[in-house]
Amino acid sequence: MADVDLSQSKGKQKHGKRKKSKRVGFRIDMTPMVDVAFLLLTFFMLTTTMNRPQTMEINLPPSDTKAEVAESNLLTLRITDDFRIFWNIGTEKPNAVDGGDKKAKLINLGKLLKGRNSANPKLITLVKVDGKAKYIDMVDIMDELNINDISRFSLAPMLDDDKKIIGTL
Amino acid sequence: MSKTKRVGFKLDMTPMVDVGFLLLTFFMLTTQFKPVDVAEIVLPSSHSAFKLPDADVMIVTVDKEGNVYLNVDSQNLRAQLFGEQNKLKAGVQVQLNELGGLLRQARIRNPKLRTVIKADKESEYQIIQSVMETLQRENITRFNLVTDLER
Repeated sequence: MADVDLSQSKGKQKHGKRKKSKRVGFRIDMTPMVDVAFLLLTFFMLTTTMNRPQTMEINLPPSDTKAEVAESNLLTLRITDDFRIFWNIGTEKPNAVDGGDKKAKLINLGKLLKGRNSANPKLITLVKVDGKAKYIDMVDIMDELNINDISRFSLAPMLDDDKKIIGTL
Repeated sequence: MSKTKRVGFKLDMTPMVDVGFLLLTFFMLTTQFKPVDVAEIVLPSSHSAFKLPDADVMIVTVDKEGNVYLNVDSQNLRAQLFGEQNKLKAGVQVQLNELGGLLRQARIRNPKLRTVIKADKESEYQIIQSVMETLQRENITRFNLVTDLER
């Protein structure tokens, strides 16, 4: 199959005739080498990782800056450890985002944020996630903000006062 | 008659083998082995499509149990930060109160470093929050969270 035919030197016959004549029709069986090469090829094709991990970028204000925001421009989202989402503007009473499961809640939240942001372009979203919640909850909320092009948001820790407001304490 | 033609049938495989070697060379040169993880991390998924930069990254890993590890991609910097014995490790476990100082040192030695948080999706938000507060205190206000692409 994969042989190298080295018989081109047939026409050239020189002095060392006895030695050279052995070389006529000389063949090397390359099959094992090709087998190994294909084995390696398969190995590299299967182990190579083409995709680098995705990342989500977060910008937070430096800790020593205090931004004054008008009450009516502040939308606070509070996420409890069992993934109930409460939202309110300013000091209004918090409302729960309804939805059966997590996905439905996130979709509703997205619609809500989009509506509120187009109604008030200066709106700033403040996200407070309960410390006992899972990391994935926070990532899901951030993802929902990113999908809806809401870039003006900040993260704040959930304090006991916040828990009192939403009635989980 | 048509059967006698098949006797001694030969197929020239040279082009196929050539292509095979070409592909082999390509894959051998481009392959990047999956970096060793310091802990087993199940990433959360998101729709974000930013790619993780190749070089100059500093990775803060948080595993399911809430242990925090710090890793930098260059071996030299790793040796400077954590000592020669940790040069080849894929990350060193750090306490939350040491993290700030280490981040500062790393950034003094390489100001181009980008900070990345890689956390298990089941880990408690409390720890992530403390890590983010530490970053904020160190004036790292732009950082990335590693996620999987959601399909």
